[in-house]
Amino acid sequence: MSLKKQDEMDHNAWLKTQDLTVIETVFLTTLIWLDKRLRIVDYLELLETMYYRANLQMPKSHTEQYDLDNKFWYWYPLYSLGSLSIIAYLVAAVSGALLGFYYAPSTAGAVAQGDPTAAYDSLVTIMTDVQFGFMLRGIHRWSAQFMVAAVFLHMLRVYFTGSYKEPREVNWVLGIVLIGLTLLFGFSGYVLPWKQLSFWAAQIGVEMALATPLVGEWAAQLLFGGFTLGQATLVRMYILHVFVLPFVVTGLIALHVGIVWVQGIAEPH
Amino acid sequence: MTDDTTPMTDGGTDQQARTDGGPPATVPPDDETPTWSERKEHTQGLAQLTYQYFERSRREDEDLRTESTYVERDVLGFPTWPHETLRNLAITSFFVGMIILVSAILPPHFGDPANPGSTPAIILPDWYLYWSFGLLKLDPLNPDLAVLGGNIVMSNELLGIVAHGIIFGVITLVPFLNKGSARRPVEQPFWAAVGAAGVTLSFTLAALAIQNFFPFQLELIVSLTFLLPVVAGVLTYAVLKTMREGYMYDLNRRYYMLRPPK
Repeated sequence: MSLKKQDEMDHNAWLKTQDLTVIETVFLTTLIWLDKRLRIVDYLELLETMYYRANLQMPKSHTEQYDLDNKFWYWYPLYSLGSLSIIAYLVAAVSGALLGFYYAPSTAGAVAQGDPTAAYDSLVTIMTDVQFGFMLRGIHRWSAQFMVAAVFLHMLRVYFTGSYKEPREVNWVLGIVLIGLTLLFGFSGYVLPWKQLSFWAAQIGVEMALATPLVGEWAAQLLFGGFTLGQATLVRMYILHVFVLPFVVTGLIALHVGIVWVQGIAEPH
Repeated sequence: MTDDTTPMTDGGTDQQARTDGGPPATVPPDDETPTWSERKEHTQGLAQLTYQYFERSRREDEDLRTESTYVERDVLGFPTWPHETLRNLAITSFFVGMIILVSAILPPHFGDPANPGSTPAIILPDWYLYWSFGLLKLDPLNPDLAVLGGNIVMSNELLGIVAHGIIFGVITLVPFLNKGSARRPVEQPFWAAVGAAGVTLSFTLAALAIQNFFPFQLELIVSLTFLLPVVAGVLTYAVLKTMREGYMYDLNRRYYMLRPPK
């Protein structure tokens, strides 16, 4: 009876039989050490699969199959609008995270009506004192504008090329939800500087909510923190803008793109 | 090396001394493992229906695959690396560069701090909400909707909110109303006309939102808001209908050139 631990794969013995340079030996020893503990080999297999995927050739598209390329190449830029909106969203996310270092969602500090609040002052600080702060705010604002524009144009492209048709209804509806959330993103961001236009845009929002029967008052309290605007409104819009919407919209975008991936792009005929 | 059958010094072998039951026996597939059709027969109700549907759809897939005329060729398209990747990187860099350029030359506006005490003369959202703001300015239309002795049925704000609901609802319904494989606007002039009318409506509603900037009567602006989309729709329909004749002629000509009639 043998109690000796059996090592079927004696990697160290195998290493000794190889004629390896120092670098190779160190690399393989590290790899074996890690692999014994973390089963790296499994992940390497995944990497290998990804490598072959990266070298895959795209299947022949509908336009190529029916030799429509000469007629259709000039429509192709319209087919990149969806990814352009995602790129603008990413730019807005990065610049927004940087702006968040300096922004304070607070209406404190105003002695009389119309005085600058802490939120307004933090924007003044960003635009005048922070290095590249003016540019940062400009990039955040313009990437948001680009994103909304790209989303609208993307919807028009999908409509006029009939890409929403039969197996893709769910994604069309999801896209409408995403447009609504994008507009809400823009609206909540518009309120944050707490300048005159922000305040009165939010006022119109509250009035719209209050005019809605049944759910209106509840919605006004949920979104605006009450029937009159103030600190609660600003904080709710802030949380909506930097916490709730980013998670929801990112998740829905992933789902949206995932469904396109699964169903395939609706090629033009 | 030792193996299980070599006698050890005590006369026994590793095989006899094993206490762990030996290596796992391979279990051959036997009749007790139910096949899919057997499972289908065993189950009932919704599960049975699900199995039946799966079987049908699998058969349908197979049929489609065998009937497919998809032609394979040696080079199917551009490879992901480097062609597609580099192209995407180029598009991304260009687009981000445009954002940075525009934000450098057009800095954002920054107004006065909020003052709940004084309503500014002009309240406007960002441009992408102009259409929505225009929907809130439909109150000249509201008396026309009255049915009960001149009393307005709903408040002006509620009218605007209902209009939002109608617009979002109509857009949502589109794929459930328009089906089929037609892709080009020429193939379905009606739906292209609906789209053109919708686009025009979003612009006219935006114009309604900034009505103060137009030196017209308010009534005229409201009328144009709903008239121009109809005009745009009719025009699009007429143009596409006319184009379709030539388009179909072209398609037919190509078809008969490929397969001349006998």
